[in-house]
Formats: sequence, C-alpha cells, structure tokens
Amino acid sequence: MHIPDGFLDPVTAGLTYLILILYGFFALRRVRKVLTPEVVSLSSVLAAGVFAAQMLNWPLPGGTSLHFVGGALAGIMLGPWLGFLTMFLVLLIQCLVFHDGGITALGANAINMAIIDVLIGYLVYQLFTSKSHPSNSNRALGASLGAWLGIVIAGAAAGLQLGYSPLFPYGFAITLPVMIGWHAVLGIIEGVITALVVLYLAQRAPTLLTKGR
Amino acid sequence: MSLAKSTFRKAWIIIIAMVFVSPILGVILAEVVGYHEPLDVAAEKLNLPDLTEDINWTPFLDYTVPYLSPEVGYIVAGLIGVGIIAGVGAVLKGFMKNS
Repeated sequence: MHIPDGFLDPVTAGLTYLILILYGFFALRRVRKVLTPEVVSLSSVLAAGVFAAQMLNWPLPGGTSLHFVGGALAGIMLGPWLGFLTMFLVLLIQCLVFHDGGITALGANAINMAIIDVLIGYLVYQLFTSKSHPSNSNRALGASLGAWLGIVIAGAAAGLQLGYSPLFPYGFAITLPVMIGWHAVLGIIEGVITALVVLYLAQRAPTLLTKGR
Repeated sequence: MSLAKSTFRKAWIIIIAMVFVSPILGVILAEVVGYHEPLDVAAEKLNLPDLTEDINWTPFLDYTVPYLSPEVGYIVAGLIGVGIIAGVGAVLKGFMKNS
C-alpha cells in the first residue's frame, strides 16, 4: 500500500501533508496526558514489531505479495492517537531510511495506514468490546472485522488519492474498485493475524490491550 | 499495574527472530515467484516515471545494504530499522525521566 514518488501531483501531496500535520499536532497534544516511560516502551515495542512484521512479505504466485500492516492492532492496543504516532514512526523510518514509500507520498501513506487503518480498527474493536468483561469471541470478532475494514477503507483512500492525482492516468472508476477489491482479500489475513494477537494478549498480558489508552 | 520487564524482553527477542527469518520470505521466496511491488508494476505498465532511484537519498534502498548479499542485507536493514525505533524510544524515555 506504500505509494511511491511520482504517483501524486503536488496538490494531492500538499493536501495530504497538511492533513498529516494537523492530525499529528492534535495527536501529540492528546498523548501528552497518557505518556509515561512504560507507555513509550510499549509503543516502541509495537512499532518495532510492526516494522519487522511488514518485512515478512509473503510472496504469492503471480508476482505479488501480502504482508501484515498492523494499523488496526496499533489502534486496538494504543488507541487512535498513540496508535497513529506509533504507525507514523514506522512509516517515517521506512520512507527516510529505506525509501519504502515516497517522500512526496508520506502524507498520503500516513493518512491511509496511520490514521484511517488505526482509527477504523480502534472504533470497530471498541464497538464489540464496550462491555466491562468482553468475551473472547467478541474480542476476536472486533479485532478481525476492525482490521479487515481498516485495510479495505485505507485501500479505498489510496485509490481515491491515486484517482484524484492527474499524474495517474486512471480515474476513480478504475482505481477505487481495484484497490478495494485487492485489499478486501489482503484484509482477511490482516484480520486473522490481528485477532490471534489480540486473543493471545487477552490471555497472557491483558494490560497490554489498554495500557496506552 | 506495571508491565514486567521480562514481557518486553520476550517481545524484543521475538522481533529480532522475525528479522532473521524475514529474508526467507522477503528475498528468497520473492525471487522464486518473481515478486515486484504492485504499484511499481502499475507504474511500469502506465509508463509513469520511476523516480525512486532518481531522487534516492539512502544507501539502504528497498532494504538492501551496499556490499552485502540481498539476504544478509535484508537482515542488516531490519536490524537497522528495529534499532532506530528502539533508539527513538530510549531517547524519549530518557527525556521523560530527566524532566
């Protein structure tokens, strides 16, 4: 889902950077209240885990691949604000150190994977686990559906950004269904992995699921 | 409730293990199936300019390391990424403890 350089025109790139800066400013103000050394440790472990998981590219016959994105898991574990900052750190390092995702597309990539994916994952999980003692089936459902929907909507957002950009020769009519369809398939794996991690944490270290929020 | 240090230590060990395993999927099997980034393939088919190498600023482009084989370079790149993240966390914690 990492959009490279050369795909987005200056207007789209500028708009997405503006959204990223405003959201980032707001997120930083919100996390100040919950930031402790322990929460920073949790956030950096999760960021490193997402970074390493994204390197586990599962190649598929036909020359494509799938990998875990992790935005929904970050939202579930850390909430939307700290989850955003955690995912943004991963995207920033991928972009600046490994040129994975373009510098002109950093705003768009952050909107898709650090804002939308995190926020959708968090909200759907909350919807299923709002009771004081949610069942494991509710946790699994909330995590998997949140992760799947997060990836699909993030993919749709990428399709909108590409379709809007005059540099990309196809409009929304092509980019949206392609990105949604592809990510609806990838999202199944994302949902399964997210649910397994959440269930494992709920059994072994339940505080990790609420510590950062 | 405090999160035990051993929990974090275990998590870091698992992360490092993932990095060491990653070339099997990210390099070796990727070569077997002829993997290319889907958006790079789209760019090629649409004759979009590939600016990645033209405006590259890093020696670690696409998780490679100069003078190292792709497999070893992928592991070293993974360790660099994980190390930077751990470093950012450590610096932030240091600031918080001092203030």
